[in-house]
Amino acid sequence: MASSATAPTAPPALSLPPSQFARLQPHAYLLAHLSPPASSQQPSIRANGRAPSQFRITSANTGSLTHTNGSAVVRLGDTTAVCGIKAEILHTEDIASWSVSHASSPSAPNKRRKLTNPTEKPGEDRQDGSSQAEDDDDNSYIEDFSLLVPNLSLSTGCAPGFIPGAPPSAHAQSLSHQILSLLHSSRLVRSEDLQIWYQRPNLGPEELERHNEDEQMDVDSAQDGSGGVASEVREIKAFWVLYIDIMIISLAGNPFDVAWTAVLAALRDTKLPRAWWDADNEAVVCSDLVSEARKLSLRGLPVSSSFGVFEADAASGWRAVIVPDAEEERKIAESDRKGIQRRWVLADPDGYEEGLAQERVCLVVDKVQQNGKIVIVKLEKNGGFAVDRKQMKELVETSVRRWQDINQILKEC
Amino acid sequence: MGGPIASLHPLSRADGSASYKCPATGSNVLGSVNAPIELPGRRDALKPEDATIEVFVKPGTAPGGVGERHIEGILRGALGRIILGREKGYPRRGVVITLAVVGCDNIARGSSYLPILPALLHTSILALLSASVPLSMTFSATVLAVDSSGEIVCEPSSTDAAAAASLHVLAFTSQGHLLLNESEGRFDFDTWERVYERALAICHGTSALGSDGDVAMSENVDAQPLEGFVRDTVEDHIHREYAWKIDAA
Amino acid sequence: MNKEAALSVAERDFILDALREDVRLDGRSADQLRPLTLSFGEEYGHVKVQLGKTSLIVRISAEVAKPHDDRPFDGIFSIAMELTAMGSPAWENGRQGDFETYVTNVLDRVIRHSNALDTESLCVLKGVSCWTIRADVHITGYDGNLIDASCIGVMAGLQHFRRPDAVVKEGQVIVYGIDEKVPVPLNITHKPLSVTFHTFDEGKLVILDATRKEEQASEADVVIGLNNAGDVCYLSKFSGSPVDAMVFVTKTTVALEKVKELNGIIDKALQADLAKRAKGGLAEQARAENDRLIG
Repeated sequence: MASSATAPTAPPALSLPPSQFARLQPHAYLLAHLSPPASSQQPSIRANGRAPSQFRITSANTGSLTHTNGSAVVRLGDTTAVCGIKAEILHTEDIASWSVSHASSPSAPNKRRKLTNPTEKPGEDRQDGSSQAEDDDDNSYIEDFSLLVPNLSLSTGCAPGFIPGAPPSAHAQSLSHQILSLLHSSRLVRSEDLQIWYQRPNLGPEELERHNEDEQMDVDSAQDGSGGVASEVREIKAFWVLYIDIMIISLAGNPFDVAWTAVLAALRDTKLPRAWWDADNEAVVCSDLVSEARKLSLRGLPVSSSFGVFEADAASGWRAVIVPDAEEERKIAESDRKGIQRRWVLADPDGYEEGLAQERVCLVVDKVQQNGKIVIVKLEKNGGFAVDRKQMKELVETSVRRWQDINQILKEC
Repeated sequence: MGGPIASLHPLSRADGSASYKCPATGSNVLGSVNAPIELPGRRDALKPEDATIEVFVKPGTAPGGVGERHIEGILRGALGRIILGREKGYPRRGVVITLAVVGCDNIARGSSYLPILPALLHTSILALLSASVPLSMTFSATVLAVDSSGEIVCEPSSTDAAAAASLHVLAFTSQGHLLLNESEGRFDFDTWERVYERALAICHGTSALGSDGDVAMSENVDAQPLEGFVRDTVEDHIHREYAWKIDAA
Repeated sequence: MNKEAALSVAERDFILDALREDVRLDGRSADQLRPLTLSFGEEYGHVKVQLGKTSLIVRISAEVAKPHDDRPFDGIFSIAMELTAMGSPAWENGRQGDFETYVTNVLDRVIRHSNALDTESLCVLKGVSCWTIRADVHITGYDGNLIDASCIGVMAGLQHFRRPDAVVKEGQVIVYGIDEKVPVPLNITHKPLSVTFHTFDEGKLVILDATRKEEQASEADVVIGLNNAGDVCYLSKFSGSPVDAMVFVTKTTVALEKVKELNGIIDKALQADLAKRAKGGLAEQARAENDRLIG
């Protein structure tokens, strides 16, 4: 109980500057801020001057890197991330699994990946009313052929301890994976935006061409015959692969929120040139007209909010580990009633607070445009026992507020 | 389907080990624990007052990648709160947990690790118990999938998991705290609360539930709560190990 | 660290003195193997090997991939082995040591470079798709002679493995699931195995299948890779003190005998597993396998 003893007496006995006290006794320092003695008349506030559910000032700037297809710089307090997106062309013939189909999978007949129905033009059907089945197929392209390749690096000197020439740390790898899996699970990017098609010429020339083609094409024409001779045949010839590089240039806690916001802002900024397959040259040709380049149409706007839990009794665990049993829980509940808080859920923890919080919560929420319904895309909680169902509900509400803020910021940038 | 199958101490060289097999999800994990052990290579990372916990996940048929590093972080976070790293002999030493996925569908880069996470968690806790690492409590975990119609599927197979709208892994300590939650996919808070209720019932049995248990619970009454499973596995092992003593008595 | 705790002088002397009197600590003779048991998992190509106290698991997996540009007709075969703290507390996770590199190299040479698996048979569509076969070796307990045990595991795994059937239709590769079409065994050209010898007393004493302690007390090792026909596919004297050339000559005969013995055990275990599977209503596969064994 060293902490509770130091906390009330700390302010008068303080004979060294606060910054040193913060380094020597980080836990007691933060605790003294969060639960000031009743006599001092001071409000409970975090050491960085924020209220527990307050995020740091966020700013975003897009399009700052000229050699990328889309880029963004996002700053959240002292944590800054730069994200650049570069699109590269991946030919379907270079994808090993492109020409492979599994007999057991239900979509096997579709594997030819051709559309025989002229009314159904991918890339133009942008309404949300698109069928579920199409959506599923859509998503599998991005996952199966890894069309989104995020890579996060914690750059040299972004925080003390990051030395040059070190291989990507486990932390950076883990963040890269989190961004990748969130891109997949939120289905943010539509695969139809990444497809490069070949529109086979209609009727006459097509028929002529077929006579010279090998047997394989004959089978195709037989298939197409069912859809009518005049049907246009489209075929995916290549994909855009988005290389999403995120660099944390300054790290002061909460890298995931910043990195994700940067990815989001950069994707909103990304423009892909119009590209098509040129049968004569057997190559993908891109238009260099800026007016023809189009933006990605993203699905929603999932916003991430992270929290850290600061526990008043963590210091007493210096010697013994506190096992929160029924007795302990009862004590916490009792002190809650008395108005003495023992646990604080801190939104957007900075580097100092992250070092003191073992328990982490990360929530990614989105608001559906049409009906304003809140959808949770990711909910992670690890490393502690404090956050339960009730608390989680509050955190979801905080995240929704955060969604509004980020939405506003991204709209303006 | 039948419940999970586990055995303690199948390996000879490690301080503690466990194998865990869940027929429903098809995951089969072998785990070993070496503790307390000197880690001379990580001297600068060692903590003066606490044990250093290292988790290593080795996929069955692929080289390790970013997905493994991420899941290692999750496991380290959860186990770090359970292991009493300040006990005598542990500070400045390492607790090295190695988990090898010996049977399950391969997990591709970027795809979800959640279906196998409960198996990894159970294997680690059993291996830690087998290595006699001091623990503050035990835990149990489960994976649930919610399909597009909102139906909850317990311990989904790989095809169920792929088709699900959202996937949830929840771990509860033996004291009933929510130790870990990993959810992904699209869902709302009410769905998560239903998943929470259901997972608590699976891990702790219906008795741990309030009086407002809903209909879905009834099908789980016959199944043994997972918390008991960890206990039974250890009990069985001790029974076998001390057969000589029990017989003599 | 990556190194086992050193033997005490007394322990080393004890092992050496015993060997001079032709006694090994576990009661074996110099040219005797430890008991070998092989068991197979439910999946094809999942093998557990137990050689004395050395144990490991091998998993074989197959995937369709694009062949290397310079070898459009060849499939890809790789052996991956990573030493983790599971096998021995002395091995550090995620750090490659010399020992790991050495063992992987020997495995590669004995099995992969000797073309035990016919990679040309893995081609599906020239230059477009082929099978990638991957053997993952998980060491679960290390008590000496890792090389031989791993060789046994990988070879048994390759013979046990069945890859899904694939056909080319209209330039499209269709892969049939294991339950849809009888899966195909791999094309094994020959069955090489390695036999490791350790020498003591300036090469005067030579034993095979050394335990971890015997390995530590030894002066040098000699690895001989052979197949049933007696073709030598690997021969090495990697480190340690010099060994008399005659050791290679005399011990090659011993090695051939041991390789035949080991291959016999593998064949028996494979057949027992097949019989078990046949009972499970998979008679079809057993027939295919028998045809292959006769042929």
